[in-house]
Amino acid sequence: MNPVRNSSGASNPARIILEPDPAAEQQPIISNGVNRWERADEVIDRVEQTSLVILLSVMILFALLQIVLRNVFSTGLAWGDPLVRNLVLWVGFIGAALATREGKHINIDVFSRWLPSLGKNFVEVINHLFSFFICCLLCLAALKFIKNEAQMGNVIFSRIPAWVPQIILPITFGLMAFRFGLRSLKSFFMIVKIGSIRNQEGKT
Amino acid sequence: MTLLLIIAVLLLILFGAPIFAVIGGLALFLLFSSEIDSSAMIIEMYRIATTPILVAIPLFTFAGYLLSESGAPKRLIRLSDAILGWLPGGLSIIALFTCAIFTALTGATGLTIIALGGILFPAMLQGRYPERFSLGLLTTSGTLGLLFPPSLPLIIYAIVAKVGIDQLFLAGILPGVLLIILLSAFNIQKATFSEIPRTKFNVSEVFKAMSEMIWELPLPIVVLGGIYSGYFVVSEAAAITAAYVLLIEVVIYRDIKWQELPRIMRKSMVLVGGVLIILGAALGLTNYLIDEEVPMRMLDFFKSHITSPFVFLVVLNFFLLAVGCIMGIFSALTVVVPLITPIAHAYGIHPIHLGIIFLTNLEIGASIPPLGINLFISSIRFEKPVLRLYLASLPFIAILLVGLAIITYIPWLSLALLK
Repeated sequence: MNPVRNSSGASNPARIILEPDPAAEQQPIISNGVNRWERADEVIDRVEQTSLVILLSVMILFALLQIVLRNVFSTGLAWGDPLVRNLVLWVGFIGAALATREGKHINIDVFSRWLPSLGKNFVEVINHLFSFFICCLLCLAALKFIKNEAQMGNVIFSRIPAWVPQIILPITFGLMAFRFGLRSLKSFFMIVKIGSIRNQEGKT
Repeated sequence: MTLLLIIAVLLLILFGAPIFAVIGGLALFLLFSSEIDSSAMIIEMYRIATTPILVAIPLFTFAGYLLSESGAPKRLIRLSDAILGWLPGGLSIIALFTCAIFTALTGATGLTIIALGGILFPAMLQGRYPERFSLGLLTTSGTLGLLFPPSLPLIIYAIVAKVGIDQLFLAGILPGVLLIILLSAFNIQKATFSEIPRTKFNVSEVFKAMSEMIWELPLPIVVLGGIYSGYFVVSEAAAITAAYVLLIEVVIYRDIKWQELPRIMRKSMVLVGGVLIILGAALGLTNYLIDEEVPMRMLDFFKSHITSPFVFLVVLNFFLLAVGCIMGIFSALTVVVPLITPIAHAYGIHPIHLGIIFLTNLEIGASIPPLGINLFISSIRFEKPVLRLYLASLPFIAILLVGLAIITYIPWLSLALLK
């Protein structure tokens, strides 16, 4: 892995390393499998985006409706507050899944900004793999939680089983695991690509 | 073993692994090693995500993002320019005010630097402010609004420490104002010294700028007035704020088109989701630590070494500044607060005052070299080397630390409005 040393020198075209052009993404080096999953992820993204807009709008509407009912008519929907609270759960968790897709989870990225690009990609693979692993565990834990809730037979809104709104927990963690998995693959291929570019340059 | 675990956690955090994954992983590991079922963590997560007060978070955040995408920042800058522009250092004071208000509304400190920095930095350079001064000011002001309602960290603190959110909202106001006054005084002194040109005060401009903002000016009254007249609870005020901002920015000012709403909703909920998941993971962890009586053991340790509350507060300040610098505000709030509150209580520190101490420390910590997150955000936003920002922010940090000392040792500032 000697080329790492060269990368900081001016002789290497930094552009290739820092921002590979979109055309290069299509090269066979990134396997078609990843691209297919990527497209699937785009479809999921649209579903999430639409549900997010609908749920947040419903949340604002019902929160307002409750205020009007309470202050003007001194009444209120018994299931209004639990509905709004569960909408917060859904909106928040969909937001968390989207944060994974956009790479916007809150983190403190201090050391890796001083690393060379190859090291940066390497750290990324580790981070994404770690997060993938944790999300898998959390997904399992959430499934267990749902199972328990279903067995206990708790209900909310007087009729609906409690596990119905809770189902978003395993869904989100599953989706996040999928996305971290996808990202770690992408970072991994990026390392392979940088490696091969450097090898070619080394030969010429 | 414990040491190894701590090193692993720190390395993961500092190399940029998502905070929620690190905290969640640690919690899962601890649960696993004491043979508790991992679903205990999910129970915590579900419980916290459906607490009534949490409704305020997505609603306030959405309202804040709407405002930041609208023409409100420009109108606010114009109005404060009309009111304060004649002062020496007027523009820098305007920068302080607008940054504070925006952080209070959006809760995302980085966002303020990114959104307002782009307008204020060129304006300050044009107004002949030294570059280093402008950089330092904008970097440290990014977090200045945290003490003002309805900032997201205030709400999070209230949830985690189980204190009254309406009381915490009131408590932050005077300390927040103190920090702004201290920084403004420094700005005025600096501007007079380097002979920065001033503008003339113009009454008709004030009225013009005010009438332009006429719909946004009632917002603080909606937020605070509604809560303290006892008319709404905090989550209701959040709903009204969101609906009101939606109405004025989309229908009245038409700064934001209907088609843009899904994008803004998404952007704001990505932040909410990121915070919520850290909150959930952290509560899983701290519940375990509390069951294991870690705070009690820490308390015994403290009690045997430190007797006076005064010394305790000094230690607490240093500790929290470091935590704010290393861990960032949200993860520090969710992980550290439940561990420290019982100890502080034993030293007789008022829980609301403790909250303000926490937030002030974390707010300053976020700008402290070498790891404060604001420095890095500014470095990216203004395209300056981080080292330059270290130097630029030092005088501002020094002033904020003076403010911190006052806030810490004069509990009256935090508690005066409560009575």
